[in-house]
Amino acid sequence: MANPLKTFLLPELLKGMSVTARTFFTRKYTLNYPEEKAPQSPRFRGLHALRRYANGEERCIACKLCETTCPATCITIDSDVSADGTRRTTRYDIDLFKCIYCGFCEEACPVDAIVLTRIHEYHMENRGENVMSKDKLLAVGERYETLIAADKAADAPYR
Amino acid sequence: MAQSTNDLPLAEIRNYTMNFGPQHPAAHGVLRLVLEMDGEVIQKADPHIGLLHRATEKLAESKHFNHSIGYMDRLDYVSMMCNEHAYVLAIEKLLGIKPPERAQYIRVLFDEITRILNHLMWLGAHALDIGAMTVFLLCFKEREELMDVYEAVSGTRMHATYYRPGGVYRDLPQSMPKYQPSKWRSRKEVDRLNETRSGSMLDFIDAFAERFPVAIADYETLLTDNRIWKQRTVNIGVVPPERALQLGFSGPMLRGSGVVWDLRKKQPYEVYERMDFDIPVGTNGDCYDRYLVRIEELRQSTRIIRQCIEWLRKNPGPVMADDRKVRPPSREHMKGDMESLIHHFKFFTEGYDVPAGETYAAVEAPKGEFGIYLVSDGANKPYRLKCRAPGFAHLASLEEMVRGHMLADVVAVIGTQDIVFGEIDR
Amino acid sequence: MAEEFVNIEINGKPVKARKGAMIIQVTDANGEYVPRFCYHEKLAVAANCRMCLVEVEKAPKPLPACATPVMEGMKVFTRSPKAIAAQRAVMEFLLINHPLDCPICDQGGECELQDLSLGFGRDYSRFSERKRSVPDENLGPLIATDMTRCIHCTRCIRFTEEIAGIQELGMVGRGEQMKVRRYIESTVNHELSGNVIDLCPVGALVSKPYRFSARAWEMTAVPLVSPHDGVGSNLYGHVLRGRLMRVVPRQNEAINEIWLADRDRFSYEGIYSPERLERPMVRENGAWVETDWESALAKAAEGLRAEAGSLGVLASPSSTLEELYLAGRIARGLGSANIDSRLRQRDVRDQHNDPLYPSLGMRIADIDALDALLVVGANLRREVPILAHRVRKAALRGAQVAFVNPAAFRYHFPLAAALESAPAALAGDLAAVLGAALEAAGKSAPAHLAQAVQAATIGQTHRAAAAALAHGEKRAVWLGALALRHPRFADLRALAAAIAQTTGASLGVLAEGANAAGAYLAGAVPHRVAGGKPAAKSGLAAAQMLAQPLSGYLLVGTEPWLDAPDSGAERTLGQAKFVVAVTPFASETLRRVAHVLLPAGTFAETSGTYVNLEGLWQSQTGAAQPVGEARPGWKILRVLGNLLDLEKFDYLSSEQIREELAGLCGAGTAYAAPAYTAAHAVAPGSEAARVVDVPMYQIDALVRRATSLQNTLEGRTSAVTY
Repeated sequence: MANPLKTFLLPELLKGMSVTARTFFTRKYTLNYPEEKAPQSPRFRGLHALRRYANGEERCIACKLCETTCPATCITIDSDVSADGTRRTTRYDIDLFKCIYCGFCEEACPVDAIVLTRIHEYHMENRGENVMSKDKLLAVGERYETLIAADKAADAPYR
Repeated sequence: MAQSTNDLPLAEIRNYTMNFGPQHPAAHGVLRLVLEMDGEVIQKADPHIGLLHRATEKLAESKHFNHSIGYMDRLDYVSMMCNEHAYVLAIEKLLGIKPPERAQYIRVLFDEITRILNHLMWLGAHALDIGAMTVFLLCFKEREELMDVYEAVSGTRMHATYYRPGGVYRDLPQSMPKYQPSKWRSRKEVDRLNETRSGSMLDFIDAFAERFPVAIADYETLLTDNRIWKQRTVNIGVVPPERALQLGFSGPMLRGSGVVWDLRKKQPYEVYERMDFDIPVGTNGDCYDRYLVRIEELRQSTRIIRQCIEWLRKNPGPVMADDRKVRPPSREHMKGDMESLIHHFKFFTEGYDVPAGETYAAVEAPKGEFGIYLVSDGANKPYRLKCRAPGFAHLASLEEMVRGHMLADVVAVIGTQDIVFGEIDR
Repeated sequence: MAEEFVNIEINGKPVKARKGAMIIQVTDANGEYVPRFCYHEKLAVAANCRMCLVEVEKAPKPLPACATPVMEGMKVFTRSPKAIAAQRAVMEFLLINHPLDCPICDQGGECELQDLSLGFGRDYSRFSERKRSVPDENLGPLIATDMTRCIHCTRCIRFTEEIAGIQELGMVGRGEQMKVRRYIESTVNHELSGNVIDLCPVGALVSKPYRFSARAWEMTAVPLVSPHDGVGSNLYGHVLRGRLMRVVPRQNEAINEIWLADRDRFSYEGIYSPERLERPMVRENGAWVETDWESALAKAAEGLRAEAGSLGVLASPSSTLEELYLAGRIARGLGSANIDSRLRQRDVRDQHNDPLYPSLGMRIADIDALDALLVVGANLRREVPILAHRVRKAALRGAQVAFVNPAAFRYHFPLAAALESAPAALAGDLAAVLGAALEAAGKSAPAHLAQAVQAATIGQTHRAAAAALAHGEKRAVWLGALALRHPRFADLRALAAAIAQTTGASLGVLAEGANAAGAYLAGAVPHRVAGGKPAAKSGLAAAQMLAQPLSGYLLVGTEPWLDAPDSGAERTLGQAKFVVAVTPFASETLRRVAHVLLPAGTFAETSGTYVNLEGLWQSQTGAAQPVGEARPGWKILRVLGNLLDLEKFDYLSSEQIREELAGLCGAGTAYAAPAYTAAHAVAPGSEAARVVDVPMYQIDALVRRATSLQNTLEGRTSAVTY
């Protein structure tokens, strides 16, 4: 601050203010969430879902690869012989508190049953609701099947 | 506080002990500092660690090698892929494999994107701590774009789990996700927003790299000459170069003291030796110099990014080593042929064995040298994993850096050290 | 040793090998792994999978290591490019017809095909044509089949032929049409059939009860001991989240080798039977009420103390040693000597002559080397399947095996003599065999048996049986469960002992239950106190307790009306004033007769010790979490002892109980089978007698509730009375 003029006229501060002023008149880059949303990639790893085939048959065959490969051990599966003699889960729980959303379960699934959807706006109100049971996961899958199918198709060439 | 009573002829004078954090907003997470103050002047600063300890290193011993990649993201949670990078490098070293060239370029690209992410976070928070609110908002605006890149490539904005031993999980996408019209925004406005998103992801990053130097100039306009900024940073927390070396500094903390040291140049990994970039160094070793170093690093990173984009555009190819023992087969193969299915099954149930041995792999993370020391006994899980976190050495010098300074300068020093507790506590 | 050795080289390393050994045996012994599917060290060499191809110097083509004997100067390369190329090619062929089943296959994760494909196969498949498919076989309720997965290693076929002794499986067709089939439409019924599940290297033969329920890698293997017969087969219990999912054999060459009887393998199903008692229950005014442990135990203690004057304790011979010891201590602590675990034994006239414990008279491993064996009153394959397998090994080696049985049971090895002798005639026939043996040896009968021998008419078969026992050097006489249940057991034993003495054989008693020997040592028989010492005053034996009602009963893990079906137990117990049952299961009958029910853990849920027929103490820790509020039996009895104010009952662990009992027994170091040396006089003549042959899947509470076993052909058989 050798220059007394600089000391008193605050040029660098005014320059800084000009950035602020300029920004003041530029277009807003904020979004009015939740009415509008930021773009989301088809690779997004959000809430889990269990899918069904087009004929309504559960995809999951209880192979337990997802359970095994889950780093956070958040998946718990019990399996048994189903009524039609096939291998099925009797319990498929995902603890959303434990899950680290790494996507390994989806990578491991040989039948594309467990998927991570782009749904990220969910909440729970009571203790215990953090565990997604098989019914809940299937319900998510049923409700968003079109979305899931489109996302997985978009990402298929890369996997 | 000493309390004087009528019985005592002289007031008993004693240093005031103060807790700084762990809930303090300027304490960057869960730092707890026990400060001994003589009035406003710091006599002693005792950083306490461990509040964010999650036993990542121990946990890794009970998980397959790949399972810990996601936990590396969560060490230094503002430079996610750099942590992953050190980890997968260590595994690759033991396995003796090298990822394909394209994967190496992608890794360099994302290391530099991560560096920008980290420095933007650091700059915004540092300035905010010292009192400059505006910079924070401007930084986060640019950060958001890079977060979108993270999400487009890996599916998450932060904890990517994208690097894998042998390469990266997936190739860069050919398109970027786009804004959708809503009642708040006309089609025209949305098109404007989507302008940079119309091409591939590389186009999007390129557009960012084009624009970003202007943003850096804005940050500099706001701070570099600003007298308040200078008053708060110049001659604060001075570390002479020899002392910086003794304290085990690395990264901008070391370069700020004038030591020319950067792992990307000194022991290049991946394709850094093909990159054209400079190492900025400071002269005084104070907070201001470290600020300048990091600002320059933003520019250098942008340079590297542009070089990577150029190469990646010209050279399509595989992004994963073609070794079925360390990577699962493609989905198509897995569903179609027996050998692939078996490899898929075994990969996800047993992982892969890493030859016995030990190794150390380090990368130049935004905060300094992030290294992974890995011991394998030949099993499918690490025998021992040790993370060398740069922030740990930096935090250890906190007392030395703040002694004799005012209380308010503690905030500046914490800021300049770029403390992130995820990596310090692990 | 007269063995000859040759010098060969494996991968450049010189090694010595036994002459005539196959290359694969030498490589295994020297830590060089050669991949294989069809080769199994317990089975004959088939050399039909071709996976073990190795390069041998000067041989024009790679040779199968499992079928190529070593020769002097041979140079073997297991990992040379030629060997690797051959193995890789074989692997590719094996996989072209293998279905993409890994995710739904129970073998996934423990599959040899997967492992070898990873280690020796290609990364990609070049096969894009259609795969063949093979219809499945129904092999019964124990073994599930997926024949498309079969790689034709023929291990199962060789097992049924060589180990089981009844060829139930075979190969039909050739080339692409080759299939493993049963020869005739029937299920696989052999008592060792479950072993083909272990042998099958792929998922073609898998366990039906375990089907689809867990994965190999997620379970914890806990070493256990089988609680069903006196062999003490070693098992692993595989536990997932506290639940026992399956049982597999634990290799012990001295006992069960690598085999396991179906009874040991599948009985775990009973643990989770719907009849399982989950909470303590008391009967109040005729109605059953679930209650807490404290009040149930208090009520049990109160009732037992009130009926202490006329108290009977019946313990299952398959209880752990610790449970038996504590049950004995409680009985004697309350002043009653009425404790027994010999539920099916009726004749206890000369129990004072019993040796230290009922013993096989030899080591189990030595059975293979027997030269002659006489088995009296034993349906060997049903009672002790593992011993039957060992006897078969001996018989195939050339041992002379003779049977004296109430019926001609089916055996799968050549018999030297088989005497069909109705229960009433059994003693007389045995006396005749003794007579024949004495005649051959030129000796005269001992005084106490002279009358009986004199009265016997010696026929051709008796002479054949006696002659069989003269064969070779290592001989044994065994008394089976049918002899034990015989109303003239004392006479049979005296005669058998005399036969053994005359022919220089050892005498063995195949006592029932996993802990029959342990019960003697623990004092859970009326005439022995803990440590196996004779009791000052002998109490009532089980048969007596069940014939004449006492006023109080303590039942430990037993259901007397089923364990001893001809004893009238239900009626007797129904007349008692107070019955406490420490039991894992609560059947309708038990609810009718009992007053307090205390839920105990089954063998898999408790730590404890089993003493097998060779006197071997085998301890285990609990594997599974007890169902409901059930507790290990020793803990229940320990607290019961406290509530009854018995001295020194503050055990903290089952190990502590075992150590205490071991101290009482005296630490025996060298193996010595306790011998029977008494001179019990046998009266001649025959009297009407009945012996019940309890089917093998009815012998104890656990196996009775194993659903899949009950659905087998054997499980559907009802008890036969001879």
